[in-house]
Amino acid sequence: MTTDGQPMNDSTGDDEAKTTDDGSRRTDGRHTKADGGHATTDSEFATPSGAGTDTEDGHGLPPLGSVRRYLVTTNHKDVGVLYIVTALFFLIFGGVLALLMRLQLWTAGQGLLSAGAYNQAVSIHGLIMVFWFLSPFAFGFANYIVPLQIGAKDLAFPRLNALSYWLYAASGLLLGVSFFQGASFAGGWTMYAPLDLPMYTPEVGSTTAILALLLFVVSITVSSVNFLTTMHRMRAEGLTLRRLPLFTWTILLTVWMMLFAFAALLAALMILSSDRLLGTTYFSFTEGGSLLWAHLFWFFGHPEVYIVFFPALGVMAETFQTFTGRRLVGRKWFIASMVLVALQSFGVWMHHMFLTSINLQVKTLFMATTIGISLPFDLMVFSLIYTMIKGRIRFVTPFLFTFGALVLFIVGGITGVFLGAVVLDYEFRGTYWVVAHFHYVMVGGVTALIGGLYYWYPKITGKMYDEFLGKVHFAAYFVGFNLLYFPMFLAWETPRRVFDYPPGLTPWHQLATIGAFVLGASFLLMFYNLTASLFTGEEAGDNPWAYSTTAEWTVPSPPPLENFPGIPSYRSGSIDFLAEDERSAIGSGTAADGGELTDGGVATVSDQATDHAPGHERITDEGEGEDHASIWPLAIGVGAFVLLLGASGFQGASFPDGFAGTFYAGLTGIGALLTGGSLFGLTRERFTGPSGPFGESWPFDGIENVKTGVWIFLASDVVLFGAFIGSYVFIRVAQGWVGWEPVPHDPLPGLVNTYLLLTSSFSVVLAMVAAEKGSKRGVVASLGLTIALGIGFLLNKGIEWQELFHEGLLLSTNVRTSTFFLTTGLHALHVIAGLVIAIYMLTRATRGAYLEDERPIEYFGLYWHFVDIVWLFLFPLFYIL
Amino acid sequence: MASTKLYAAIYVVLFAFATLQVAVEELGFLGEAYWVAFGAIIVLSFLKALVVAGYYQHLRYEPRSLSYLILTGLLAALALTVAASYSIT
Repeated sequence: MTTDGQPMNDSTGDDEAKTTDDGSRRTDGRHTKADGGHATTDSEFATPSGAGTDTEDGHGLPPLGSVRRYLVTTNHKDVGVLYIVTALFFLIFGGVLALLMRLQLWTAGQGLLSAGAYNQAVSIHGLIMVFWFLSPFAFGFANYIVPLQIGAKDLAFPRLNALSYWLYAASGLLLGVSFFQGASFAGGWTMYAPLDLPMYTPEVGSTTAILALLLFVVSITVSSVNFLTTMHRMRAEGLTLRRLPLFTWTILLTVWMMLFAFAALLAALMILSSDRLLGTTYFSFTEGGSLLWAHLFWFFGHPEVYIVFFPALGVMAETFQTFTGRRLVGRKWFIASMVLVALQSFGVWMHHMFLTSINLQVKTLFMATTIGISLPFDLMVFSLIYTMIKGRIRFVTPFLFTFGALVLFIVGGITGVFLGAVVLDYEFRGTYWVVAHFHYVMVGGVTALIGGLYYWYPKITGKMYDEFLGKVHFAAYFVGFNLLYFPMFLAWETPRRVFDYPPGLTPWHQLATIGAFVLGASFLLMFYNLTASLFTGEEAGDNPWAYSTTAEWTVPSPPPLENFPGIPSYRSGSIDFLAEDERSAIGSGTAADGGELTDGGVATVSDQATDHAPGHERITDEGEGEDHASIWPLAIGVGAFVLLLGASGFQGASFPDGFAGTFYAGLTGIGALLTGGSLFGLTRERFTGPSGPFGESWPFDGIENVKTGVWIFLASDVVLFGAFIGSYVFIRVAQGWVGWEPVPHDPLPGLVNTYLLLTSSFSVVLAMVAAEKGSKRGVVASLGLTIALGIGFLLNKGIEWQELFHEGLLLSTNVRTSTFFLTTGLHALHVIAGLVIAIYMLTRATRGAYLEDERPIEYFGLYWHFVDIVWLFLFPLFYIL
Repeated sequence: MASTKLYAAIYVVLFAFATLQVAVEELGFLGEAYWVAFGAIIVLSFLKALVVAGYYQHLRYEPRSLSYLILTGLLAALALTVAASYSIT
């Protein structure tokens, strides 16, 4: 038994499996295993060749190594590689900007860069590192590893996964282009109002950068829905949440936080884009526009700290187990602490606003919640430390990085507690203390993820990196890191975001600049090591790490296209790969050795699996398996890029005169056509994704994947609309609630629209009932009525808006009109999106669709009713009260 | 699942509630006792939303996890709205 009472099953591996990473014997010499098991594969493990990694028969997927494969792939492993490589590119991009800043700070005052260029470098460095590098880097691993760890062939919606990547890539490209449109955004990565408004950042490039971030958030939302559906619905039999590997646990919690936090950021960015493009006045209204931005941004921003850090924590937990040979001490408490932090993260955001004019009571409350959130982290840190004490450490490169990350995180965490105290924050806010603190936390997280890169590199490439170079990289990295960031604590009186500072602090800044170059140079070693090892590295084998416990180490390196040689099951306490007819033949809750089921279990490949693997291949060979290729996600990404690049030229509710205006308007039109056409192409494509039955699906048992995905998306939409309505409430409270006059003079048009939407909801219900009864005429009539009512709603709204415009009430007139037009406009856009879907469904219904399977109508109804519900609140708020 | 009759009855109730909300304003209650009328109108909106979610979206017949999922989103939005608005009072 382990120290926390969990059984440690023995491996079925032979003595060879007991050798460690560098060829030496296992360090603790025992047969007990960390995290309930040991990952080995029998030597006769067969790689499914039919859907192999480099064949042409992967259902249209070009062979591995061809560029074309990466343009069309929807396979989670390929997408993972794309994320990792692209994120590393953005690491270089953001890193170069950081080096430019450090060169500027060699001495106080203006030097290498102009003031504007410095501001851009500061802002875009922050944006790139937080958004375009850190999370996507972590989600490269998540894409690659999570399906393997949970026993899934792919994510629930493979094309949406590819779409998430291409939207991310398009958003990054858009950000890069922004530098060539006058100037990129220069208002800081937090984009505080009013610096984010055209008055202070008037360049087209600033708008482009904001639209790029908006597109990035759309990508994140799509990804969140996909991951949550996958992790909750598609776990292998017996893999309950309690047994979930720790890296997957961290990704699960990360994605839940992303779903809700990024919805608030999406609302903030939509409003900001409207302020810049359409002239609304949310963030420029004098009673609190800048406070409103701060609330919306930090409601997202503080969970974002954990969104960035949790995957790093997952890598730390996994590697600590593997390289100490010990199951994580206090594992369940470690998980409980993470759950607690994920919940608490939404209740601490105002500690970023202690220097604003929010009242003292709320500051005190948020000081308490902030101190409270540090407590679960204490438990996690002690858990990791105690795991090291109980185990026997092997100092290989991945562990060095994750151990280093723990040290850096402790420093970052302790220095952050100061900022959680209101009085101390008055002193430290806006200084380099904050800069040093969050770099110790955030780049501390990067340190663990670099450890993850070394850890999973052999799995992803099949090659082993050079251990000596890895260790040199760590030494240079760790020295460079501390040389760069620790002097910032000592020079803490330096004001943030500006290049001027008291001359007495010059030595510390020069030390930091030297550290920055050492840190940057260390990455050259990494890139050389990993690139050279790809061509000349030793074969890594299926599992180069003794005591690794998770399922990815049971399959070949790199894994085959559909991951497993059979259906993964943990019912026996170990992972087994079964044929279809064996699923129910597995034991009923106890391990083969009579012990309890373990979390993750002993990862082995049974003889059965090997025997049945060929059958699995045959299925794939005959083309009855899943598809792995689609061009449409890339096409949508291209369309979105062109569309938003064009939209960036739309300033103050119009395109500029002359060539520039024509150019941007043309791009907008082309982009809209490309995006719309590609979306249509996506819907017309025959694509087979992973299908059930799956093993564990708690808490969404019995709710199939698409339906689960729709509901998760709607939960995110609740926060989006909630943030819009919350902004309206905030502004109205700031201006005096009762004295606020509704923009429409008469509630009647709103009431008529309420009737129309309610009736349309009823008609969708009737369409579903008709489909259940097999009545084609009923389905067509009901859907037709829904569409007619939806169009009626839009026409009525159009007439109402037209009258208001004639009265001189425009979006830009005042904050009352801004909130009215934008919030109800967002709702109208939802109605339009619903109508497009309904029209598409109607054309299919006329050809007899949905009579055998009415679920698409039910899922459309979920969305349409949600739009109805939103209106049920918008109507009284904007027309009556 | 609900019957067509029940769906129709719900539709009628929703229609009536929407009318009632406007009636509260038209009859001058907002002018006389603003916050009481405000409460009544918002409660009516929540009731309508509950009925649509419960019956038209079938949440009443689905596993509770879906209801909790949506309630979590609602709670997050309410926390933001209430705390942000309170912070400037």
